[in-house]
Amino acid sequence: MSFTLRTINVGRNVARVLFNKVCYPVSQTVAYKSDQSQAENRPTVAKLDPLQKSQLIDFGKYVSDCLPKYVQKVQITSGNELEVLVHPDGIIPALQFFKDHHSAQFVNLVDIAGMDVPSRPNRFEIIYNLLSLRYNSRIRVKTYTDELTPIDSACEVFKAANWYEREIWDMYGVFFANHPDLRRILTDYGFEGHPFRKDFPLSGYVELRYDDEQKRVVVEPLELAQEFRRFELSAPWEQFPNFRGNPVEEVTTADPKKE
Amino acid sequence: MQFLKGNVLLPSIKHLRYFGASAVLNGKRWLPDVNFMKQFEGVALYATPEMEKYAKVYYDGRVKPIERKLKYMWLNFGPQHPAAHGVLRLILELDGEYVLRADPHIGFLHRATEKLMEYKHYNQSLPFMDRLDYVSTMCNEIGFALAVEKLLNIDVPPRAQAIRVLMSELSRVANHLLNVSGTVLDAGGITPFFWMCEEREKIYELFERVCGARVHNAYIRVGGVSQDIPIGYLDDVHEFCMKLGERCDETEDLVTGNRLYYERTAGIGAFSAHDAINLGFTGPMLRCTGVKWDLRITHPYIGYEMYDFDVPVGTFGDSYDRHLLRCMELRQSLRIINQVIDTMPEGEVKTDDSKVTMPSRAEMKTSMEALIHHFKLCTEGYNVPPGATYTSTECPKGELGIYMVADGTSKPYRVFIRPCSYLHLAGLAVLSPRMMLADISILIATIDIVFGDIDR
Repeated sequence: MSFTLRTINVGRNVARVLFNKVCYPVSQTVAYKSDQSQAENRPTVAKLDPLQKSQLIDFGKYVSDCLPKYVQKVQITSGNELEVLVHPDGIIPALQFFKDHHSAQFVNLVDIAGMDVPSRPNRFEIIYNLLSLRYNSRIRVKTYTDELTPIDSACEVFKAANWYEREIWDMYGVFFANHPDLRRILTDYGFEGHPFRKDFPLSGYVELRYDDEQKRVVVEPLELAQEFRRFELSAPWEQFPNFRGNPVEEVTTADPKKE
Repeated sequence: MQFLKGNVLLPSIKHLRYFGASAVLNGKRWLPDVNFMKQFEGVALYATPEMEKYAKVYYDGRVKPIERKLKYMWLNFGPQHPAAHGVLRLILELDGEYVLRADPHIGFLHRATEKLMEYKHYNQSLPFMDRLDYVSTMCNEIGFALAVEKLLNIDVPPRAQAIRVLMSELSRVANHLLNVSGTVLDAGGITPFFWMCEEREKIYELFERVCGARVHNAYIRVGGVSQDIPIGYLDDVHEFCMKLGERCDETEDLVTGNRLYYERTAGIGAFSAHDAINLGFTGPMLRCTGVKWDLRITHPYIGYEMYDFDVPVGTFGDSYDRHLLRCMELRQSLRIINQVIDTMPEGEVKTDDSKVTMPSRAEMKTSMEALIHHFKLCTEGYNVPPGATYTSTECPKGELGIYMVADGTSKPYRVFIRPCSYLHLAGLAVLSPRMMLADISILIATIDIVFGDIDR
């Protein structure tokens, strides 16, 4: 079956759901985990919706076919969340596609998060969470950069990106090109450093106090009464043997050489 | 004849002063003569180079206008201000009374919650969520608990879900009580604030009965709730809810039909649905423009699909619509609470999985396995399988989202909290031009921001 027909069916299905005000029951007795084939009816285990998962998988394949130049990977988590991994040069075309394409219509930018993984060469990961009001679904668009490479600002696509990008600049030091007003937002006015990086210590480098002689607030190097206690909490045996490999499930397209 | 007589008489009275009619005309006065005037001919003063520095006065009949350089007034609506709803520093550029630009400076309450969470295990970082939106505390905890449960792939028992719904709706009631009365307070009416704060005191008392803490109650845990509700609790909740409708009626009688309040709020901060979606508004800010979007209906969580309630939607997107919307949402929350009380299921309140939830104290004191589980959960915490999730809940202020990345240990790798009011305040910078200074405080009140949420 061609992908266009499948996406039309997807659209029709969720449209019928939305306009008839029938909400999808999250707790269905029929659910599939990746290694189980019968119904999930253990009371303490979450019950997920297989229809939603298959629709998201179809949409993920459609996206990777539409943007072959920029989309590097499409994956779906075990909680039925679709993630699209995009090359940083193509983040603006990808976001524009998700906002304007008729069967996507992810018009609402929910947030832009940053994440620091120092072990990678491109240590910062920028994650855009999008929401489609029309189709009632969410998607995550991820891209990467290092300390010095700027990323194009998403402000012309979503006006909501303004303050989120300011926050990522402030906390991580990722520069956004063409941002209308990139300055610090959450840290103090004379703060130096980017606090949420993993190499920035939790208690910071400086402390502020009011000096009575100088009659102003002075900045001094940090002095703690007790040194920072690091607890090695990891147990000596392996906790999750199932997760030795890649934790997320890969969705491969029909053409194997596209991956 | 008479004239000659006067002259003839004169020599005879020489010792007397001469008083004649012509004394003024030709008396003893000196008048300048030609010789005297000759000294003023010619040049009086030659100009020297030092006289270039003197101020020159040009006698000219035409009056030139005085040129002045005008600047707009910059006002610091400072971090300490009664109308600023927390610590908001708003730099306003004013043209008289009209606002040309508003630039919010935030970060005065930034506590680096997200970084702190990376160093604590999941149960230890649960109380951070209370301190985000501190007027409706249980809703934030629910978001965190749902995110971790999604990563752990567990389900909570139905009684715990019903208790969570009850607490979430009580928090929603508390939030809307504060916001409606706070807006009226900013508009000038002080009394509804006192009435509604008394109702909020009753809600705090209910929270204290259920978990011991009035405001920052770390009650909603991963896997359920921390302890069961006490006996007779639901009766008191029912009595409270029966009377709350009348309390809201008292305030609405005073405020909603009031011409002064309508003049203050109608048309203030109006925006279209397209702008709202593009600027990232959620919650009542989005619903006041006409978009029917409520996460309790579109992505039902903790069992909201089992309760029957309406979602009010506004029309114009202005402050008056938001006021009406919040009043109606309050009554819908009361409806949900009544349904929860009627249909509260029996059962346990924590999930049965001992690897995640703490055993009860009686069990811990008798059973060895329970003791070991208690010890491991208190020291190391439960390990969460690697994964990432974005889970969002409908907080009374908007959509609170948690993007959590777990790496297999008992501490999260990254927690990003998507605050409800962050983009609403960013929208203030877009909405506030062309409004007057007094409208700014009304707009800040109806946007429903709280700085624990924005600054995290």
